[in-house]
Amino acid sequence: MNAIEIVNLTKTFGAKRAVDGLNMTVPQGAIYGFIGENGSGKSTTEKLICGLLQPSGGEIKLFGKSHRDQQVRSQTGVLIESPGCFSDYSVWNNLKLQAANLGIKNENEEIRRVLHLVRMDGAASNKFKNCSLGMKQRIGIAFALLGNPKLLVLDEPINGLDADGMRIMREILTDLADSGCTVLISSHILGELEKIATHYGIIRNGQMLKQMTAAQLNADCPTYVALKTADTDKTRAILQQTYGRADVDEQTGEIRVYNGSSADKVANYLFADCGIAVTEIRTAKISLEEYYINLMREGK
Amino acid sequence: MNANTNNNGFVQRLKTMLKVDARRMFTMPTVWIMFGVSLALPILILVMTSFMGGTTVNPQTGAEETVETFTNVWQAIGSASGNAMAMDLTSMCNINLLYFLAAIFVCVFVGEDFRSGYVKNLFTVRSRKTDYVFSKTVVLFAATVGMFVLYFVGAMIGGAIANLSFDVAAVGASVGGIVACMVSKVFFALVFVSIALTLATVGKQKLWLSLLGSLAAGMLLFTMIPMMMPLNSGAFNVIVCVAGGILFAVVLGAVSDVILNKTSLV
Repeated sequence: MNAIEIVNLTKTFGAKRAVDGLNMTVPQGAIYGFIGENGSGKSTTEKLICGLLQPSGGEIKLFGKSHRDQQVRSQTGVLIESPGCFSDYSVWNNLKLQAANLGIKNENEEIRRVLHLVRMDGAASNKFKNCSLGMKQRIGIAFALLGNPKLLVLDEPINGLDADGMRIMREILTDLADSGCTVLISSHILGELEKIATHYGIIRNGQMLKQMTAAQLNADCPTYVALKTADTDKTRAILQQTYGRADVDEQTGEIRVYNGSSADKVANYLFADCGIAVTEIRTAKISLEEYYINLMREGK
Repeated sequence: MNANTNNNGFVQRLKTMLKVDARRMFTMPTVWIMFGVSLALPILILVMTSFMGGTTVNPQTGAEETVETFTNVWQAIGSASGNAMAMDLTSMCNINLLYFLAAIFVCVFVGEDFRSGYVKNLFTVRSRKTDYVFSKTVVLFAATVGMFVLYFVGAMIGGAIANLSFDVAAVGASVGGIVACMVSKVFFALVFVSIALTLATVGKQKLWLSLLGSLAAGMLLFTMIPMMMPLNSGAFNVIVCVAGGILFAVVLGAVSDVILNKTSLV
């Protein structure tokens, strides 16, 4: 059974179709990276999943049941945009309210647990309004984790986090996924997402452009040899003649060879056969970010 | 199923929602401010108006004019005449002012849920909005009852300070009539709470909209109050107000429920 199954979901705001016939499948236990440009419909989709917006059409199923099902709802933890906290309340009191809302039996124990998970043990008595942006994001995660949810929906949770905060967030999400929790996470920080996601969904203009597993992405992102020489144009022309035009391109003064050759082999060929000295060479892999940007360019 | 939560049955959901709302209400300063105002307002009104001595000077003509001021403490609780169109000081500045205060409180309390984004936490784990509407109606009505009780106490204190008469018969009422009047007024507050709650669910983050709507609706009802709940009320007045209050709570509660179900919450 999938954790989230969306069929032909539509949401219109007046004449604007924010979500336009979206189909999406998130398997149980996955960390699903939900990617898209600003205004592509990510947050709207997440709000629809969480029942905060009413769909104009289509169907959302969570764990095989309607997303309106009370039992399913009580298993969902959410951080959409910013944590919904009362600014004059302490972190502890805000969490107490949500614990009461969830009907958690051992409130204090559970609050201590989630605060410890997000490394905020010492901040319980701080007023929410006095917390930094990074702290607020972590409190938002703590909110979402209350009651051990089976599904976490996180909208830009790593925004505003420092390097350590991002590492902590990575650890938390990986641990959660290991324990069987499904995580739907949207973010523009693709480098971070790439480190943890097991599945991806790329949305554009409210429609699903591509869904894939991390393994499929890996297969779609070839390794390449990136090199620099004193004469970029000449080197590119030679390499395109040798390896084919499709396998050689140039990006920001760096020539890339995609045919699977090793760096040594390319460097030796250029120096020994063509008399061109390579000033810089490395083997790299297309990142999620590059893949995404290329996909967006192709679409345009 | 969550390991350590139990929020699926109707009673359980209602219990948890009431717990959240009660905890929220009594930890926010607004409720204490409202209680303080409810207690202080009658004291201020009764003491200040007693200084007027029944006359005031018209600033334009310089002539001395007679003003109907409080001569009896029970005038602060209700109108003896039951005249809906009475525009004198005793009819305007009595316990009926609390209906506006209650409406403001409802709008602030509900609006804060939306403005802070707390509704995201609430409705993500609650598919049924009925719990929310029911719980809000109950806790806000309870707070309003508290405000009425405090106003009553304040009126007694203010009356004693201003040396007003406590003679029930002097205002053409009886103790039973005053009790019935108070009970009627308290239950009629449910009408104002329900209206303000519905408008607050319409206004959501827009506090000004719900406030304006609630105060405008309150003004329409305001003139009916002295007629519906005179100082010498009887069982009929109580029944009408209880039935009216419950009817408004049920009907407008259902409307609020539909609004929350059909509209975007964030």
